[in-house]
Amino acid sequence: MREMMRVAALVPLAATAAMGAPRVVELPGKSPLVTIRLVFTTGAALDPADKPGLAHLTAALLSGGGTKDLTYRQLLDAMYPMAAGVEAYSDKEMTTFAGQTHVDNLDKFYGLMRDMVLHPGWRAADFARVRDDTVNALRVSLRGNNDEELAKEELYNLIYRGTPYGHENLGALGALGKMTVADLQGFYKRQYTQANLIIGIAGGYPPEFAARVKRDFTALPAGTANHFEFPAPAPPPSNQATLIAKDTRSVAWSLGYPIAVKRGDPDFPALLVAQSWLGQHRESSGRLFTRMREIRGLNYGDYAYIEYFPRGMFTFAPEPNIARHQQIFQIWIRPVEQPNAVFALRLAMFELARLVKDGIPPADFERTRTFLSKYVNVLTKTKSDELGYAIDSAYYGIPNYNEYVKTSLAKLTAADVNRAIRKYLRAENLQIVGVAKDTSQLKAELTSAAATPMHYNSPKPQDVMDEDKTVEKWPLGLKPEDVAIVPVDTIFEN
Amino acid sequence: MRLAKLFLIPFLMLAAGSALFAADKIFPYPYVQEDLPNGLRLITIPTDYPNIVALYIVVSAGSRNEVEPGKSGFAHLFEHLMFRGSPEFSPEKYQAVLSEAGAASNAFTTDDYTAFHTTFSKEDLPRILSMEADRFQHLAYDPAAFRTETLAVLGEYNKSSANPASKLQEVLRATAFTAHTYRHTTMGFLADVEAMPGAYDYSRQFFDRYYRPESTTIIVAGDVDPKRVRALVGERWSTWKRGDYKAQIAVEPPQDGPRTAHVDWPSPTLPLVAVAWRAPAYSDSTEDAAALDAIARLAFGQNSPLYQKLVVDEQKADSLRASMADRVDPYLFTVTARVKKAADLDAIERQIEATAQEFAAKPVDPAKLDDLKRHMRYDFAQQLDNSEAVAETAALYVALRRTPESADRYYDMYAKLTPEDLARAARQYLTERNRTVVTLTSVGGAK
Repeated sequence: MREMMRVAALVPLAATAAMGAPRVVELPGKSPLVTIRLVFTTGAALDPADKPGLAHLTAALLSGGGTKDLTYRQLLDAMYPMAAGVEAYSDKEMTTFAGQTHVDNLDKFYGLMRDMVLHPGWRAADFARVRDDTVNALRVSLRGNNDEELAKEELYNLIYRGTPYGHENLGALGALGKMTVADLQGFYKRQYTQANLIIGIAGGYPPEFAARVKRDFTALPAGTANHFEFPAPAPPPSNQATLIAKDTRSVAWSLGYPIAVKRGDPDFPALLVAQSWLGQHRESSGRLFTRMREIRGLNYGDYAYIEYFPRGMFTFAPEPNIARHQQIFQIWIRPVEQPNAVFALRLAMFELARLVKDGIPPADFERTRTFLSKYVNVLTKTKSDELGYAIDSAYYGIPNYNEYVKTSLAKLTAADVNRAIRKYLRAENLQIVGVAKDTSQLKAELTSAAATPMHYNSPKPQDVMDEDKTVEKWPLGLKPEDVAIVPVDTIFEN
Repeated sequence: MRLAKLFLIPFLMLAAGSALFAADKIFPYPYVQEDLPNGLRLITIPTDYPNIVALYIVVSAGSRNEVEPGKSGFAHLFEHLMFRGSPEFSPEKYQAVLSEAGAASNAFTTDDYTAFHTTFSKEDLPRILSMEADRFQHLAYDPAAFRTETLAVLGEYNKSSANPASKLQEVLRATAFTAHTYRHTTMGFLADVEAMPGAYDYSRQFFDRYYRPESTTIIVAGDVDPKRVRALVGERWSTWKRGDYKAQIAVEPPQDGPRTAHVDWPSPTLPLVAVAWRAPAYSDSTEDAAALDAIARLAFGQNSPLYQKLVVDEQKADSLRASMADRVDPYLFTVTARVKKAADLDAIERQIEATAQEFAAKPVDPAKLDDLKRHMRYDFAQQLDNSEAVAETAALYVALRRTPESADRYYDMYAKLTPEDLARAARQYLTERNRTVVTLTSVGGAK
């Protein structure tokens, strides 16, 4: 029973936090906008084994249904003139309700947001609609219409198979079909507690506002804070590939494994540098981007991560409040035409192996460190971002994120980075997921000793051609039994 | 240097506790707008967000400018090529400067314009402005680099190709337009994208035509001093030579009756329907486009009776949305729905059309229109929560009228819309003769 994992309180998140009382993170400022984030430290990791998706669906009904006093329609009508709304999302350890309003409307907006979380309407028609939306998000939007995010999501599930992280946050189609409003109410009662709540408020709110919010949320049961600890999954004995078969134009790859480093751990800043050098998200500077897209024209982009990073194709910066006690190393290869698909995978693995073996060149270390020390300002450019990061920092037990990054990077050396790379990164025992049309052909190429040369449309410099001779034969370490072909309509079923 | 034009817009600070409606300008920041003698426009917008500077360079060339047959997608390809370096800054050196600045940098292309944007710490402004001046004036790439970049563009097409909504848009444009370049998406027709590697010479011509100072506006927003920015821009951008090319963009003839098209999607998905009407171009001086925007929101938005019926109560559709797009030339008013069962597709299409007719037949409740006006102002204000967003919002209006002042004019006009304005616009534009309907269903039926 996954919910039995709850044992004791987390390390107190703020000096003033008392057991059972909501914690408050405040960022007062001069802006005419006020941002409110209500983060419950609960999520998919606490879904009961037979009810994957329960945490998500509970949050979805609270944010996408009516309150005790207002129908969903009345709620939308009340929000409309203020151009306000509440967005909810649920990850493994955090469930977030986020909203922003102009200070003119703070009282009215806050009253609605509070009632959405404290006094949900639990109407059957709202439940039917949000459950349908969840089913369609899984079956149609993700499985049917988005190969890249599908590969990534299935990678996350495979990496953590058999652990509390090992299922899709949105759930499984079979289980969603059987869920009831009573299931959601049970989860709400157990998990939406003061001890699990972090209240975040930022912007130009009046001085007494934070105390009022905190007082209101003492209406929740006191509860005991969740504690998320489970043994890290063992790496697979060899590389493992899962090929998801569907009718599509090209091949989307994602690969990775869990890493024993998270924000706040001593080697996190060193790995942050390694990750940025290898593949800073949606920037043209990373090694993978340069070698795969810029020089070879393989695809639209290639990136690397040391933290869970969902929805990467929709966003330039990571979303806050998806903090986790266990993290992943991941490479995202954007869709490649099938004739070059295995070459692209080999090149990514070749670059990863080179990073593990040789580390980062000293000049690149300095440049990457400088980049990250400044880029952190860009990551926290809005009050809402700053608040999200502040809540995460409280959760991880680190200082203000900007200070944490700048201070810890200033102390780093290239040797620290390269030591951390050797310690935590590896180029074998990987989980690999591909979404492709001709999976039989792909499996044959992946498991054969034959070279898979790149097909170019223009001449390339000799050093690239020489490198290609190595890359096209780069060992993938995949035997036929290591490669599973899975029809797309079986994904997220159970 | 001679100041061709100088605006200093009065500023009303939105301090905490102030009422938004006290602000007389929707775009609340003071800015300095000036044209250099070569036609380059500079707009500097100091904000009260510390340390960060957002630079937007807006080139008034988008897929609308792709006038030759077979060359759709070139404005977008050109956005990519702009990162292929110059004699002074190789792509590697260019990237190194951005990395040292901790910059977030990217670009995007639309129907009407291409924007290059970089957000960074204020101390790096001189270096980045200088480097950008270099690539806009001295871009250099060889045929091999060109051919490689065309593959990255094909990769971009591929990454969107799994989404049936992209296909629906492609077919809608190709059906609704016969002459105007809005006939193709910004990505371009697939055949044209696949033929790009052979068009190196055309790419140089495209640069020569459109990447010129008189088509370009530089927006600098954030922790900046306008005088200093002006000096920096004058130093490095004044040598850029004015061009003389004027694109001859075909005028779309009036639509002569309803049109339909259907897409068979090869894999399981939910049915989609797009109902579109030919609509007027963006205007900040006549009401029609704003009135249609109001209809899009009131008739098909989350609070509309139709949305409540189809999505919330009957739950026959899981998405219903409408947009009256702001375009330089007349484009489309589009309503799209994702439907749960293919059997409901026809009925939902008819309800969308009937809703449009209701707006033509009967003026909307004035209270609903007032709520919308409040919504619009708060929505605008809430978007401006950082310097990058300020620059991006200014860029939208720069692309249409080359000044953020257009936002003030448009929202002033919006505030004066009457129920009768909406009804008149609906009668004029949302007609059967102007309509194009495209449906998409899975070949195997909706699952």
